[in-house]
Amino acid sequence: MSKSEFAVKSSSLSWPDGLKGAIPLQVVVPVVATIGALLIGLLIIAITGGSVSEAVEAFWDGMAGSSFNIGSSLNRAISLGLVGLGFIFANRANLTNVGGEGQIAIGGMFATAMALHGAGSLPFGLAFIVPLFVGALAGGCWGALAGVLKAKRNTNEVISTLLLSFIALPLVYWSVESFHLLRKPISDVSSLPESPEIPDATKLPLLFPADGSSPLHIGLPLAIVAVIVVWFVLRHTALGLKLRAVGLNEMASRRAGLRASWLIILAMGVSGALGGLGGAIMILGQQYYLTSDFSSGYGFDGLVVGLLSRGSAVGVVIGALLFGFLRSGSINMEITAHIPSAVVLICQGLIVIAIAGSAILMNRKPNS
Amino acid sequence: MALLELSGLTKRFGSFTALDNVSLTVESGEVHCLLGENGAGKSTLCNLIFGVHKPDAGVISLAGETFHPAGPAEALQKGIVMVHQHFSLVPNMTVAENLMLGRSGPKLEPRIVIDRMAELAAEYDLRIDPHVRIEDLSVGERQRVEIIKCLLGDPRLLVLDEPTAVLQPDEIDALLAICRQLVDRGKAVLLVTHKLGEIKRIADRTTVLRQGKVVETVKMEGADMQSLVRSMVGRDVRSPGSVLAATIGIENQNEADSKVVSMLSQDRTVEPALQLSHLTYNDLDGVTRIDDINLKVMPGEIVGIAGVEGNGQTELGLILAGLLQQASGSISAGGKNLDGCSPEEITAAGVGIVPEDRHAVACIKEMSVEENLFLGSISQFTKFGFVNRPAMRLAARELMREFDVRASGPEIPMSGLSGGNQQKAVLARELTLDPLIFLLAAQPTRGLDVGAIEAVYSRIRAASESGLGVLLISSELEELIAVSDRIAVIYRGKLVGELSSDSFSRESIGAMMSGHEHV
Repeated sequence: MSKSEFAVKSSSLSWPDGLKGAIPLQVVVPVVATIGALLIGLLIIAITGGSVSEAVEAFWDGMAGSSFNIGSSLNRAISLGLVGLGFIFANRANLTNVGGEGQIAIGGMFATAMALHGAGSLPFGLAFIVPLFVGALAGGCWGALAGVLKAKRNTNEVISTLLLSFIALPLVYWSVESFHLLRKPISDVSSLPESPEIPDATKLPLLFPADGSSPLHIGLPLAIVAVIVVWFVLRHTALGLKLRAVGLNEMASRRAGLRASWLIILAMGVSGALGGLGGAIMILGQQYYLTSDFSSGYGFDGLVVGLLSRGSAVGVVIGALLFGFLRSGSINMEITAHIPSAVVLICQGLIVIAIAGSAILMNRKPNS
Repeated sequence: MALLELSGLTKRFGSFTALDNVSLTVESGEVHCLLGENGAGKSTLCNLIFGVHKPDAGVISLAGETFHPAGPAEALQKGIVMVHQHFSLVPNMTVAENLMLGRSGPKLEPRIVIDRMAELAAEYDLRIDPHVRIEDLSVGERQRVEIIKCLLGDPRLLVLDEPTAVLQPDEIDALLAICRQLVDRGKAVLLVTHKLGEIKRIADRTTVLRQGKVVETVKMEGADMQSLVRSMVGRDVRSPGSVLAATIGIENQNEADSKVVSMLSQDRTVEPALQLSHLTYNDLDGVTRIDDINLKVMPGEIVGIAGVEGNGQTELGLILAGLLQQASGSISAGGKNLDGCSPEEITAAGVGIVPEDRHAVACIKEMSVEENLFLGSISQFTKFGFVNRPAMRLAARELMREFDVRASGPEIPMSGLSGGNQQKAVLARELTLDPLIFLLAAQPTRGLDVGAIEAVYSRIRAASESGLGVLLISSELEELIAVSDRIAVIYRGKLVGELSSDSFSRESIGAMMSGHEHV
């Protein structure tokens, strides 16, 4: 067979053009989905008799009305982004970590414990670095647990990570309910089941301490570094290549000599560690004490951020900012305009459906 | 008037033209063979006739009327039936139940099917027990059920797509006899194949397809087989090597290549490249898939495993690759025990594997050629964890040139390569393992065209001549005979006999493949 005949064959079989055409759509669809969903949200408010102008004003104010609100929105985006990053990291190995909520909870709990017991007296930045590290480590172990189950027993990680979350959340509740664990001693002002405030030294330094009004802390640069590192690892390292191989075809990867079990555990561990870091940052950055429900859906929103990003670290950043600002806006809308934040949750749901649905449509192969 | 007439059929898939202005006629009462290599467009043509795809241009006419089936149902209604390469039978239902599926007209009852089967049995000698379950039938018998299914409605044209690929030699004979009977009763048969030997035995006329175009249509009476080979392969094959001759199923005109058994394999002090002792494997249902296999492959030796597919070859391949762990008995390569070793340990011990399932095991089709080539040895291009892509690409280019892997570049996904080039890439990866003392090649030529088959075998041979022990599992008996130094026959997980190259005979191996012990 001559060379030219082969050339015809190979060129006919590789169809990268179809993929190239889809790239702009990946940008267009989320933007349209977001705008459309927000318009539907406004429609719902109008139909149910709310004041649209009041709602928009409160919403905007909550998102970015002041440097405090912008800082809060960004702080929210940090944790969402870290969970989202964790999601795409595991997803590179075709693992679906839906346990961000539990990993946040475990990370936050251990970070609090570390901050309250021991880290406060450490010099320099170690007072907050050590709790952050411990939080990430704890979240990583929590995630790796699902990885071990997957690698050794082929347990579906969607189910195991979800169920591990149902264990993690009561664990946090237990810790703040028990005086011998993390619960604050009963004082005259309060007996709520929560931990005492962490020492000042363990709080994350603010980015603009001189300003005084912005709660934005050094979690932001930390998260940016995490984004770059994850992007780099997935894109340019042997580890990223191996994770991708195992995700695409575990059998063939093992045949080629990759240690698939180890890679699966590692992927879930790193994924959980990013979630745990997100939880630790929530406590050390803005909340300063542990409550039983401090994770309040960040894990699930972070999961959605990861899902919508379609494996891209840049996508995670955009998604995290979107959801962080939406969350801030909805909280303010509820407080000042008395419009339930559920409206924004509905909008978030619509965005998810629109983007996920369009992904299915885009991936559908043209019928010959 | 021709029963079926195709004129100017063209079919494109994207930018790829699968069929280009194809015209041919099939008469009632003839066996018309469609000859061509893999990828020549044979299956696409069948799918157009059967209504699975629609042509982009051209006309199909059936007994003089324009015929453009909207789907298989319409084709069936007009009396066109097709036996596909892969059977569509429900394994845990009986023959009669299967025959009733899809034909649940108001009148059809089991009795009617069974009576019709008796008629067909009398007419065509197509005997099969209507009450036996499909899963208890051999592959040949299952195909007979497919043919009976086609004949139930008294069709005019029977299309058989590569029907002999799954059959043993005696079953092929029976199938060809049935084809002859069908045309003797005025039906038309369109037989798709890439085996010249079969065409010689059965065809009245043959149309040769190459790259979607009709090269020629010839009457087989007094036809020159050499010119058919030339038409099919697209080049002059004056002295086909034994492998090529075996692949396309013709007698080799030359002296058989003398098989040089390496001196190493005679030397008893050398460790065998592979030794299996009492290898046994039971699957999850407790069925014995591999039954006490003992086998030695010496360095420099090519040992073939012949057998009808599904007799344990797949399991044997997976066990040797370390992907099935629960086998008992022992495996060693070059004197090193490999029991319970993981795939990466087996690779490190010098065992190369060309897996049977190219898409699921051999390569990751979504990843690039270079990534597939170096996935297991990525550390050679890695510094501090970072992959040095330019170095990897350079090495990939070098390896692709050496193994003649034709692709527009090492960065394109594996799925963009033809099957033959994918296989050459896999071979390149496995044959450059260091160390390498044993190679398992499981069905290495499945789905490949003639040129690629030659290339694969010449690589394997060259490697064996330099001292590599090779175990070659294949259901292509002719290829095994052409390449192997020894052939062992596997039947229901057991090695039932072994022949050395001086005593190979198609008949005795065929007999062993159907379960007769070697005498």
